Amino acid sequence: QEFRFGPCRVQGVALQELREAFWTVKDTVQAKDNITSVRLLRKEVLQDVSDAESCYLIRALLKFYLNTVFKNYLDEAADVRIRRSFSTLANNFFVIASKLQPSEDEMFSISESARRRFLLFQRAFKQLDIQAAQTKAFGEVDILLTWMEKFYEF
Amino acid sequence: CISGGLPKPTNITFLSINMKNILQWSPPEGLQGAEVTYTVQYFIYGQKKWLSKSECRNINRTCCDLSVETSDYEHQYYAKVKAIWETNCSKWAETGRFYPFLETQIGPPRVALTTDEKSISIVLTAPEKWKRSPEESSISMRQIYSNLKYNVSIYNTKSNRMWSQCVTNHTLVLVWLEPDTLYCILVESFVPGPPRLAQPSEKQCVRTLKDQTSALRVKII
Amino acid sequence: DGVAVLPAPQNLSVQSTNMKHLLTWSPVIVPGEIIYYFVEYQGEYESLYMSHIWIPSSWCSPTEGPACDITDDITATVPYNLRVRATLGSQTSAWSTLQHPFNRNSTILTPPVMEVTKDGFHLVIKLEDLGPQFEFLVAYWRREPDAKEHVKVVRSRGIPVHLETMEPGAAYCVKVRTFVKAIGRHSPFSQAECVKVQGEALPL
Repeated sequence: QEFRFGPCRVQGVALQELREAFWTVKDTVQAKDNITSVRLLRKEVLQDVSDAESCYLIRALLKFYLNTVFKNYLDEAADVRIRRSFSTLANNFFVIASKLQPSEDEMFSISESARRRFLLFQRAFKQLDIQAAQTKAFGEVDILLTWMEKFYEF
Repeated sequence: CISGGLPKPTNITFLSINMKNILQWSPPEGLQGAEVTYTVQYFIYGQKKWLSKSECRNINRTCCDLSVETSDYEHQYYAKVKAIWETNCSKWAETGRFYPFLETQIGPPRVALTTDEKSISIVLTAPEKWKRSPEESSISMRQIYSNLKYNVSIYNTKSNRMWSQCVTNHTLVLVWLEPDTLYCILVESFVPGPPRLAQPSEKQCVRTLKDQTSALRVKII
Repeated sequence: DGVAVLPAPQNLSVQSTNMKHLLTWSPVIVPGEIIYYFVEYQGEYESLYMSHIWIPSSWCSPTEGPACDITDDITATVPYNLRVRATLGSQTSAWSTLQHPFNRNSTILTPPVMEVTKDGFHLVIKLEDLGPQFEFLVAYWRREPDAKEHVKVVRSRGIPVHLETMEPGAAYCVKVRTFVKAIGRHSPFSQAECVKVQGEALPL
């Protein structure tokens, strides 16, 4: 059981653990997102991503989650259940991101296409207040995991 | 109507099986039995407006079929309902974010059994996705969930033993069974992934045929 | 925050077997008093990006005994920092931190317990439920010279699973080991167990 994002292989992550971690806080986290008219991980970002593109895109998304979404998301007052789920997701995203090595000699058009998709997501994120955007991005982890699962070999 | 004059409906949730998505709720506290009517609206996450469903405006039942409105299972949805009674109405009661692709229950497959002396062949037909009308072509849930598997449980009523097998294809032949024995079969669909409620099939029991060779042996001796 | 007059717990260590992780420490003794302990953890991400954030353990905030099952807290294959402090009323000790971060890939994997049975000609195996992290690699063969070994991956836990339909009169042997996908490691194989199948009905 491993992730296969095109040429990138990632073992050592039990997708079920991530699912369960998010599932326990889904309603709480998503209820904090009041801007329901905006979806960051829209279809244009994730639909029909080729295998070759997928490694670039997942790496960009996970790095963004690690450096921007998760980084200042927590404070000591955060609900304990959210902190636990957060820790599971952040540490497993950290493992996946550290194992993704997209090849350098891939065609420029492939990485460029992945970059455009990521920019759609990033632009939508930056149009919101940072805290609202972090809350929304955290609440959309189920969309991200569902897309990642398409590249998971059971 | 005077908004907030009534308590909100309660327990508002989606009941979803094979992508048939029914919104259901309970009457407001203290108004059971009163002539209350309800109005439903739904919302596609990431879009702009709440939308109405005309068949669920001023209804007195406590459910509304939103399968058509929530049929793009890669989208996420909200729904809300308010109660109306005489000149008063409640505030909206709203669901959480509903994600059909992750939350729909996978119904059991259809199970066809045929037996002979020492074997039972099991033919499974994947559950079908909900469709708008009988004329519409069927879509198997397997087309949506390519990693759909089946857990087949076999119970030998004579030896009182049970064992199971996990299969991905649609046929399974159990051979070298005991003749003239009642076997009960139960099949459950499952998709690796988020925790889903499972619906096992109806238990079906079949008896393997009598062993013709021993019957023949009796005749000859 | 109470003044730290209580001594901090000492000798923190983790014993981990089959992905069950137990943090233990030497108890703080105050005659006639019950001491409570609080355990907290942080994964590699927190220690790198937000080192001020510690997360209370699921089952030990607080706990009485000088031990804490941290299995539900260790949910990624990264190094975890763990710390414990003692409390008595409003008195609290300083935090005592595990000397070396714990990574679950160091867990000891033991051969699983199995029960091999047969139902007529059907070879059936029942494996202990070690949790969702575990898969079982079941090897089975017919006991005869140059027998071919078959391998089946079993994910069902705690229920009898059909392995093979056996030939009348033959004997079959089974051994099993676990595989933990999250850390990519196997356990050793169990001892082999064999069953013999009754012969066919007497020929005419």
